[in-house]
Amino acid sequence: MIRKIFLIFKRDLKVSVRNFITLYIIVVPIIFAVIINVFSPGINDTTVEIVLIEGENVEQGEYFEQFAKVEFLNDLDEMEERVKKRDNIIGVAPDGNNEYFILSQGNEPTYVVDYVKNLVTFDHYDISVEDSQAEIVDYGRDISPLKRLMVNVATIFTSVLGGMIIALNIVEEKTDNTISAINLSPVSRLGFIAGKSLIGVFVPVVGTFLMLFITGFRDINYFHAFLMVVTSCIISIMVGFIEGINNDDVMNAAGNMKMLFLPLFGSIAGAELLADKWQPLFYWVPFYWTYKGNNLVLSNSGSLIDIMKYSGIVLVISMIVFIVLAPRIRKGLE
Amino acid sequence: MIKVKNLYHSYSNDENYAVDDVSFEISKGEIFGFLGPSGAGKSTTQNILTGLLQLQKGEVEVAGYDVKHIKNKMFNKIGMSFEQSNVYNKMSGLENLEFYGKLFDVDTRNPMELIKMVGLDGKENIKAGKYSKGMKHRLTFARSMINNPELWFLDEPTTGLDPAIASNIKDIIKEENNKGVTIFLTTHNMYIADELCDRVAFIVDGKIRLIDSPKELKLKYGEKLVEVEYLREGKPIKESYSTVVEEEKNQLIKVIKENNIQTMHTKEATLEEIFIKVTGRGLV
Repeated sequence: MIRKIFLIFKRDLKVSVRNFITLYIIVVPIIFAVIINVFSPGINDTTVEIVLIEGENVEQGEYFEQFAKVEFLNDLDEMEERVKKRDNIIGVAPDGNNEYFILSQGNEPTYVVDYVKNLVTFDHYDISVEDSQAEIVDYGRDISPLKRLMVNVATIFTSVLGGMIIALNIVEEKTDNTISAINLSPVSRLGFIAGKSLIGVFVPVVGTFLMLFITGFRDINYFHAFLMVVTSCIISIMVGFIEGINNDDVMNAAGNMKMLFLPLFGSIAGAELLADKWQPLFYWVPFYWTYKGNNLVLSNSGSLIDIMKYSGIVLVISMIVFIVLAPRIRKGLE
Repeated sequence: MIKVKNLYHSYSNDENYAVDDVSFEISKGEIFGFLGPSGAGKSTTQNILTGLLQLQKGEVEVAGYDVKHIKNKMFNKIGMSFEQSNVYNKMSGLENLEFYGKLFDVDTRNPMELIKMVGLDGKENIKAGKYSKGMKHRLTFARSMINNPELWFLDEPTTGLDPAIASNIKDIIKEENNKGVTIFLTTHNMYIADELCDRVAFIVDGKIRLIDSPKELKLKYGEKLVEVEYLREGKPIKESYSTVVEEEKNQLIKVIKENNIQTMHTKEATLEEIFIKVTGRGLV
């Protein structure tokens, strides 16, 4: 059984490499990686953003401006609204008695919040760069948050590409009428589906690993990355089968796979831009959880339990979709 | 090798049967022809036997396996040459056979040997998509032999082939049959059925009208006459003599002895004529 599954996978890979469209799809992750490297800013181009109340503490503002991009607003209400609007901007507001509190939305990276905390502390104790006798604290972040976001999105996008190749291979089987020949060989329907699915895992896994390596994410936990990629491509594989079964034309099949991009980009935009109260709207989208899990993987800040939690949620949603789609896939391959 | 009892199949899941109460048996080593016009139910029956269509009603046993509960192992024993060629166009002829052969759990034939057998040697590394229709058909035919099937389903094996290649294909079928392979031949070509089959079944509108050997059918439905053409005093004479009436038999012997015989034919009926006589239908 395993031998036959790999045999079908090897055939699909061989034929995919010979076809321009599928070959292009296979190399897209590498193209993504190169584009991300060219266009994403380096760590030194990235600035931590802080929002302060205008005129409340002029010296503090000047001090912070040495180390971050500072925005001044009129009062606490405006500051709250501003913090809610965007991620990664931290408010520093007076709490009376010459004390300050940090105002954050909650989904900012820990190191950004830590950075602002340190600045407040250093300012409080009048510590300047010249006074410092401490060694430089390195948070180990040598990749910019924007680059991480781009790689995260590209990784999820790559998982959809695997499904696209499956759709094209199923269309090939249909137009060549070869499914009937396979059905008359001692390969079970399950074996055939598993063999066809393998390329939908292989392309995203290899593509993602190459992309991570090229874009500089070399110190992350690759097992965690593997878990997230494998679970995220299950949905794409199933949609790939359905599109392959429903279409007789390669271009239509590839085109219809684009319907996955709406929940993909929608959930990422929602996770990044919307406030906490709107987040449950995206809980049903597996890409939402993949995005969250990938964030932990790429920032190297998630434990195995965290990653298993996110990949587990993706797996459960995928299984529900599988229960719905499996009969249609089986019937379509008869 | 095949046992079919009271087989029914309806595509609309009602009483409108495409295959209607079909029963027959095929013994090991036999070539069985399933003959009928398009839409008669030949392919439906064959697809049920091979498991491509689900068995709805009736009992079917193929190569010792109950088709109601098909096991994948059964496919190690059977081969199928489809009427419509179905090979991977993006793979070469050789790659097609190599790939398909590896899917089986039994010893398979050398793909190059099969390529040579069907006259595709020299073209084995060309992608099947560039093959002509006839070449693809031969590749499909060759692929059906890759697992040394005990039971071989052939669906219109010579359709679309030129006479020389068709003759080669018929020789291969005879050769395989001589090795003990049981053959289920679906065709509307009465000549190939006549030449190859031990027994034939006539199927029309989903019902089997008759099962017998071509020889018996000809004896039963043909005229028992010999037509002789000879020269008498330089003039061509054409006469018919009965092969069963004693007096005419003696006359025939006399004619043969005394004259210069030009042509002599038995007036046996063709399978096509018998089919029309029995079913009242043509074969197209």
